[in-house]
Amino acid sequence: MTKKNISVEEADRHVNRSAFDDGLVDIFLFSLLLMWAVAPYLSVFIGDFWSSAIFLPFWGVLFLVLYWIRKTWIRPRAGVVKYGPVRKKRMTAFTVIMLILNIAFLILGFAAFFMPAGSGYTRTLPITIMLVISFSLAGYFLDVPRFYAYGLLWAGGFFVGEWLYQNYGFVHHGYPVVFGTLSILILLVGIYKLVTFIRRNPLPDEDSVAWEANNG
Amino acid sequence: MVEMDKYMDQDDPLAGIDPLIHAPSRLRVMTYLYVVDSMDFVYLKRLTDMSWGNLSTHLTKLEEGGYVRMSKSFQDKKPNTMIELTEEGREAFRRYKDSMQQALGSLPD
Repeated sequence: MTKKNISVEEADRHVNRSAFDDGLVDIFLFSLLLMWAVAPYLSVFIGDFWSSAIFLPFWGVLFLVLYWIRKTWIRPRAGVVKYGPVRKKRMTAFTVIMLILNIAFLILGFAAFFMPAGSGYTRTLPITIMLVISFSLAGYFLDVPRFYAYGLLWAGGFFVGEWLYQNYGFVHHGYPVVFGTLSILILLVGIYKLVTFIRRNPLPDEDSVAWEANNG
Repeated sequence: MVEMDKYMDQDDPLAGIDPLIHAPSRLRVMTYLYVVDSMDFVYLKRLTDMSWGNLSTHLTKLEEGGYVRMSKSFQDKKPNTMIELTEEGREAFRRYKDSMQQALGSLPD
């Protein structure tokens, strides 16, 4: 038996954190990062817009696959939880803040079209700030510490890529190398968590199903 | 049903320690149930790391004490047991928490 602290706060965090134990969110994040690694190459052939837009059907299909995995593999092993009022309030606050932030960043994004384009390290500053804020909020509100690291790594990737480009001549501002590496790292975390989750949580055996059928 | 009055001595905080909750496994179950609206048997088992038999035994005791309510339904033709604290269970847990803090809070480090 794993030793765990018994405290109301820790129990609340544990309940919430356990919803992200299956690694599916990591696998989806991998697909988002993959765009930053692959799109620069694609843009040479199909242009900037389509090199990003082509990922929409990919994300759609991946989302459906992950949904199917969640429904058939994860759900019977993970069980169901209905959060209490405190957690619900926290999730509502998170949703509202993210909505406001996204609208603000969308407006800033449009405004950026009319401003002189930055260069070098300052060019991607707005998106790095957005990433750090968004992932930090997700880490804080969802109680998933690794999201802080993802936000910092993703945001830092732009600077590392630029540094590789300016000092060693890496193509496409170093994005394919940096984000390719990072996406594979996050994919590995996701797969590790998914496999660990499935191994640690076998499907209920016949006895337990029979107990549930006869009791409760 | 547990009679709570006998645990409510103002002068002795240890007298407020409810033995039905105090057992470590049941305390763990009660703590997890306290922070949620409800959860099913599978979720609770995963959080507590207890075996099916062990968890069901403790849940039965808590249910007999009136602290826990279990409701059965079927999802995809499989039985699903949702578990939640009753108002009495929630109140008992709050009382237990206060008593423990009172009893141990004044101890020197």
